[in-house]
Amino acid sequence: MEALIIKATEDTPEIIFDPENEVFEISNVSLPENAIEFYAPVLDWLKKYMKNPLPKTVFNFNIEYLNTASSKQIFELIFLIDKINEHSDVLIRWHYDVIDEDMKSLGVRFTHLVKVKFELVEYEKDEEEEEDDYDFN
Amino acid sequence: MRQTTKRSLKLTYDLFSRVKTGDFEYIYRGAFTQNLTRKILSLAESNLQRFVDKSSLQNRIYFIMVEGLQNVTRHQEPTSESKSEHAGIFAIQKVENRYIITTGNTIVNTKVDSLKQRLEKVNNLDREELKKLHREILSTGELSDKGGAGLGLIEMARRSGNRLTFDFEYIDLYWSYFYLQTEIPSRTYTRDAAEELEESNAMRDIKHLNHILDKKDILLNFNGSFNQNNILSLLSIIKGQMRVNKSAKKVYYIMVEMLQNISKHGNFHEENTDGNPGIFYLGQTEDEYVLTSGNYIPTEYVADVKERLDIINDMDNNELNEYFNKILLDQNVIDPKKTGLGFVDMRLKSSRKIAYDFKEIDDKYSFFTLQTSVQIN
Repeated sequence: MEALIIKATEDTPEIIFDPENEVFEISNVSLPENAIEFYAPVLDWLKKYMKNPLPKTVFNFNIEYLNTASSKQIFELIFLIDKINEHSDVLIRWHYDVIDEDMKSLGVRFTHLVKVKFELVEYEKDEEEEEDDYDFN
Repeated sequence: MRQTTKRSLKLTYDLFSRVKTGDFEYIYRGAFTQNLTRKILSLAESNLQRFVDKSSLQNRIYFIMVEGLQNVTRHQEPTSESKSEHAGIFAIQKVENRYIITTGNTIVNTKVDSLKQRLEKVNNLDREELKKLHREILSTGELSDKGGAGLGLIEMARRSGNRLTFDFEYIDLYWSYFYLQTEIPSRTYTRDAAEELEESNAMRDIKHLNHILDKKDILLNFNGSFNQNNILSLLSIIKGQMRVNKSAKKVYYIMVEMLQNISKHGNFHEENTDGNPGIFYLGQTEDEYVLTSGNYIPTEYVADVKERLDIINDMDNNELNEYFNKILLDQNVIDPKKTGLGFVDMRLKSSRKIAYDFKEIDDKYSFFTLQTSVQIN
């Protein structure tokens, strides 16, 4: 199956669903105005993948910020992943910044709503690397 | 759970209505860094692009903003006092076809006179004389201790084609507050009395506004059209300004919901193809960040929104969580924006009730103010 690769923008995440290389990851921020439109092709892709999944799939959710419109769509993804889990081995890794208790609780919330195995992965960001200060002169 | 006080909800519409539909006002107060300056510029730029057709005019406005912001960054005195009346200010206002850029920062009283003299000197020169002085300073390499040489002031006067308006406000024995204002597009050098008056009004107006914002501990105020571009710029300013910690994350999340609320739902009878008119401001008190948004909504929706807010405000944490889950699980809900999920999320993240106010504007529209806060830890 052909990989789904969507590059990150300022307000939408990077998505790599690549069965050949066994990489399934959503990262960066998800703040689109129209989350339904953005996630529609992702959901479509998963529906196709569902028919013939790898024996084992690990989905990494590594999102830094998301709006509530996106959280509904992310749950739609997780809902489908839960179905894939019915006939293959699936794990969701939910990554969150140690200071982001809301991202953590969203992960915890999802674990209560689906059966698929969930791993909550806490990470600590290095001192926010200060963006280069350049002079205007 | 704490109730966010209603104290400043009436202020929102007063601030909002200062700016006519189609105009904008953006104000930042606080400490200035180069990094932040860049973000402020990108916000101002994205607004300018929509209004200013001529790129030469855009360049001039941009130049004056850069110069003004650099002045504040460079000259803000490393004061140990973090009093908010010492906060630097940057403001850009679009008032019909005029753009007014104001900066403000503290200055030690002993430097006031020499700065005043330099400003007056610049203001008394005509275009040719300014050019000559500019060349002179460049060739003699006479630089002030801050590396400015007054070149910045000369360039601002040249590019705006206008006199520089300024004002010094006495704070205490040691400090004064220095306001510098430039107006673009240029007018002729010979100004009539009406123009002089208008100019002093613009200065009085921004000083008055700065005092209100200071009293209400407001750090950032954006009043204009809301679209995704502006929203992303405002968010990156917040990201650049706040230390990364738990409270900052929450402020960011709630801001996203509030701002996108305006750009999605806020509307008005005029055609708004590039965003909806609204206002957002962020305040900081000793123990919390206060977030306030305001926008128009059709009066016919007010009863529904009010009811939804009351129901959500009455929920305890368990109920809020259950409601959230219910919407996630409900396959009939495709687009959650009408379900109040955003409000539920706001309550969960802030651990506060949502304060709100509706004010009837005309027979069709009302002004909807929303406020919540995040504890600083």
